[in-house]
Formats: sequence, structure tokens, C-alpha cells
Amino acid sequence: MSSSKRKKPIIGIPQALFYWKNPFFWEEFFKNLGFEVVLSPKTNKEIVEKGVRIADPETCFSVKILFGHLLFLEDRVDSIFIPRLKTKETHSQNLYSKSENILEYCPKFFGIPDVAKILLKTEILTLTLDERKEKLKKSLKIFAKKITKNFRGVDIKGSIEKAFSVANQNEKEREESFSQKMKSEKKKIILISHPYNLYDEYANIGIKKKIERLGGEPIFIDEIPLTSISSLSPRFHWEFGEEIMRKINNILKNYDVAGAIEISAFQCGCDAVLKEFVEREFKKNKIPFLYLMIDEHTGEAGFQTRLEAFFDTLR
Amino acid sequence: MKLTFAYWGNYTLAFNKLIERLGFEYIPPEDTNSTSIKEGAKLSPEMFCLPLKVNIGNYLSAIKNGADTILMWENIGGSCRLRYYWVVQEKTLRDAGYDIKVINLNSRNLFSKLREISKDKIHPLRFLRAILSFFRDIRFIDKLEEKTNYLRPREKNKGDTEKILKMALERFREVRNKKELASLQRDAWNKFSQIKTDRKRMILRLGVIGEVYTISDDKVNFELDKKLGEMGVEVHRELNLVQHLISGFFWKEKMLQKKVNQYLKTTVGGHGRQAIAEMLDYSKKGFDGVIQILPFGCMPEVTVRPILQKISQEKRIPFLSISLDEQTAEAGIQTRLEAFVDLMKSRHTQLKSNHAYNSI
Repeated sequence: MSSSKRKKPIIGIPQALFYWKNPFFWEEFFKNLGFEVVLSPKTNKEIVEKGVRIADPETCFSVKILFGHLLFLEDRVDSIFIPRLKTKETHSQNLYSKSENILEYCPKFFGIPDVAKILLKTEILTLTLDERKEKLKKSLKIFAKKITKNFRGVDIKGSIEKAFSVANQNEKEREESFSQKMKSEKKKIILISHPYNLYDEYANIGIKKKIERLGGEPIFIDEIPLTSISSLSPRFHWEFGEEIMRKINNILKNYDVAGAIEISAFQCGCDAVLKEFVEREFKKNKIPFLYLMIDEHTGEAGFQTRLEAFFDTLR
Repeated sequence: MKLTFAYWGNYTLAFNKLIERLGFEYIPPEDTNSTSIKEGAKLSPEMFCLPLKVNIGNYLSAIKNGADTILMWENIGGSCRLRYYWVVQEKTLRDAGYDIKVINLNSRNLFSKLREISKDKIHPLRFLRAILSFFRDIRFIDKLEEKTNYLRPREKNKGDTEKILKMALERFREVRNKKELASLQRDAWNKFSQIKTDRKRMILRLGVIGEVYTISDDKVNFELDKKLGEMGVEVHRELNLVQHLISGFFWKEKMLQKKVNQYLKTTVGGHGRQAIAEMLDYSKKGFDGVIQILPFGCMPEVTVRPILQKISQEKRIPFLSISLDEQTAEAGIQTRLEAFVDLMKSRHTQLKSNHAYNSI
């Protein structure tokens, strides 16, 4: 470009799937580096319909939603950001060896940037996060350096730190809201699912509000602090599996809950495994458990009826 | 303790032999059939992939015959659900009221675990010998199937090849050692060479890719090879048990990644990358089509399917994907295969006439 005032490149970030694994982080990261960021809107009917049309019919509902978001961003931005999430380091306080603490994401996350490249025309910006090979911060630094090659005076280290602090702030708020909620007199309902199902109100048909309207206090599984360090059997090699099971252990040991609801996206392969063990934990403790499946055909009325029936079983 | 394990196509015979050579008392799994699949699916978690349900069906009939311990492979390196098969299977059977133990074998504990459960503490040498014989056995089965797939579309009298395959597998049950296996192979190959073939027939070449269990178990995929063979299609399956077992070596993995790098930059678990590499290979070799077979919702295969479709468009090679679950009906598969073979046939003739035209 010839003009001295070069326009900032626009990066599109879909508000789906990986976005909810670390909300606010990526938009903050790119803004700090000097990019303009466009987020796709909250999931809506049109997005779901678009996604269902383009994605593989047998892939999970969450991936279909992601493709809807990607199609929304198509032609509106210079490039779309999709990280390749492979592994993540967790901390189990000497319970497991270092290599055992590196856990995988769902295998569908591995291939999404490649599939998106095939299905979309817009350029896909991707970054592999594989802590088995490289620390998260190092990967981010190298990536930031690469994409800001043509920029002047970018504080890469500062930008990354700032993005982390925003994300941490968000986590702190969640923990505070948890202790607030535990003080409540209402029936406490644990909602177990992946963050991209819990925070996407369209996908989960507004379950949070529905529970509140029925007089319950919904608690998202990721609000629960991760304190329990007892060893699990089986131990999941998926980062969310390990986290969810440990959080359930914590809540069953230390808190009093009325019921639990697990939400699964249709065709989620990992949930097919996880559900067996989540259900077992609650059954063992004689806590009512409801399993809800969401997909593009889920009807609001059916959902409501099942929730109401579930509430009738609560003590 | 009476062991049993899941049925897996013709490989089951080799597994039987392996367990026998290691000195275990065992109940051989019965052939998978539509009833056993249904029974298995009834107990299994609904959202799980088909192989787990089929396995449960196999176990149920073995339990009826007195089995009390199940051997199941635990795929510790892979990213797919196979890793959790053994725990989920044990839970499923116990929840259904069976007092059953599922033993997880993986690449790390294979010897120690088998030694632990054996009465007379398997000697390492005996173990090694059994494994070597096992590889010899599955290599024989693979070769036998390859040969059958080559001859079936060419035979003059329908069913000749099948008869020899059946005979060879039947006699394979009785084979005790290397020498007997060699003589069986010689005999079978001799018989194969006597089959009268029709040299003028148009033969289509087709590659079958996908998930290893569903592509190689003829009871689960409704005798795919046979059906296609009888329609005049020579079926190639590059992925077999031997390939599956050695695909974990790192140089194999490096080579595989190099082949698919243009389309996929990483593993997606299971045989996702293999499917892409094989499809590229088949299109390079000028095959008439590619069929992908997968259990419904198989995570790796579903992830790579858009890529396979892209390759099909780019390289202009017909592609059909068939997902199998407990509700799949044989008639539906038959119709889809027939339509696909028709498509391949017309494309084959067209390409041939174009070629003739161009070379004038």
C-alpha cells in the first residue's frame, strides 16, 4: 500500500468453540498487537443454518455452529483466526509425572484449520498450540512476531501479558460469582458441559434462564474451583475430561447440590465416553441427573418439559 | 479363568491361535451377526461408535459359553475413543449384571499383563515366538484376502474364488506351525492359479479407505469386498492389521505427514491421515474410485471427510462415503454400491474412449 496511513488489517474471530475455551483472550491479544478485530455475533438461527449446510453432516453440533460463524466472517475480514489447539499443560501437584500432565484437546480441534481452509475463501490465520513441544507463551511470542512483521513499535511481550491479565480477571470474576451462588438458598443445579455449549445461549436454548425461572440456581461446571487432586479412574487424556471429573469430585465432596444436568452436543464423540462416568458419580451420590442432547432440531418446548419434570424429582 | 475377546473378521482366527500359543484357556468369539449387533447395541451407550456395540454383542455370546475375562486393546497413543473401550465395556457389562473383568492391553503393558494373568508365567521367548507367529498368521490372512479380491472380479464361474478362500480359512484353523502354514499357502495359491478367468472383462479398480476395523471385518461391512468383487470391481485395501500395527513407528508417521501435508498439517487421531494419503495414492495410480467406510460419527474419519471430498473434486476421482451403525441395512448398502459402480463404469468407458480419441 502506498499511503503512509496503512489501514489496520482486520482479523475475524468466531465466537464459537475455541473462543469459549479462553474468552476475551484472543480479541485482546490481537487488539494489543495493533490489529482490528471483528467478532462474529452471538449464535443465531441463520448462523446455525449456514453451518449445518456446510459442515460434515456427521460432525458434532458445536463444530457445525463454528462453521456458521466462519461463514458469517467470510468476506467481512482480511483473515479469520482459528488456532490449532492440540495439547495443554495442566497441574496436578505431583500426582502425575510431567509428561502425564500434558493433556489433549478433542481430535476434531486438530484438523479444523485445515478443513476451514478447504471450505472457505478467506485466508485462515492459524497457530498451533502444542505444549508437548513448546510452552504456550513461547508459541504466542513467535506467532505475534511473525504476524506483526510489518508493524512498527509493537510491544509483543506487553501485549501478551495484558491479554493474559484480562483473561485471568475473567476467571477471578467467575470464582467470585461461584462463592456468591453457593450462599444462595435456591436449589443449586450443576450444569456440566463444554464452555462452548454453556456460554452459547442459542445452542443450549437458554438453559440458564430456564433454570432460574424454575427457581433454581444454575452453576456452570467451569465456575467450580479446581481443588480436588485425588487420582481419577479412569483418567482422561482430554483436558476437559480431567477438569470436569476433578471439579465434580470437588463439588460432591465439599458442597451440597440439588441436581446435575449434562448437556451434550449431538455427535460429540468425547461426551459419549465422558457421560458414562459423569453419570456414575452423581448416581453414586444419589443426586438426580439429567442428560440433555442439543442439536439443530432441538425444540424449545421439549426442552422445557424435560426440565420441569426434572425439577419435580428434586428434593 | 476363561478368556474371550472381540471378533474381528478373518483376523479372529489369528487371535485364537495367539491366545492358544500363550497357553490360555479361552472361548473363541462367535461370528458377528445381525442379532449379536442388536443385542450389543441394546446394552451399549447410545452415542458410542459402532465397534464398541459390536464388541459387546460378541462378548455376550462368549459369556453365555462360559467366558469370564475379556481382553481388550487400549490405544494409549491415539486420540480417539478406542482408548476408553475397555473401561466403558467393563462398565456396560457390569451395569447389565455380568460379573466380568476386562483386561486392558496396550503397547507398554502387553507382556507384563499377559504374564501376570497366565498360570504358568509365560517365558519371554515363548511370548516372542507367539508374537512372531501371530504376525505370520495375519500376513497370510491379508495375502489371502488380497488374492481373493484380485481374482473375484475375473473368475469365469461365479464363486470359484470364494470356495478356495473358505477352504483355506477352514484349513488354517488346523495349522500348527510355520511348515504347515507354508504348505497351506502353496496349496491355496496353486488352487487360485487354476481358477479360469475372463480376460476380456472390464475390471474396475477401487480403493477402500477408512477405519481399519470396519473396512476389514466383512461381517460388519456386509461383505463389502465380495459384493464389489461380484460387480466386477477389484478391491484394494492398503490399510490392514499389519499396517495398523506398524503405523505407530515414528519414521512411518513422518513419511505419512509428508504425504498429506498439503491438505492436513497434523494428526487427527485414528486413521484420518492414512485415509488422505491412500486416496491421493489411489488417484495417482489411476483408480476408478474410492470408498470410505467408517463407523457412524467416527471422530477422525468425519474430520477428514471434507478433505477427501475436496481431493475427489480436484483429482476427479469418484468418491463414496459409507457410515455404518447398528441400523444400517444391507439393502441400502447394496443399492448405493450398485449406483457407485455404475458411475465408475461410465466414467471408465468415457475416459477410455477419450483416450482413444486423443491418441489418433
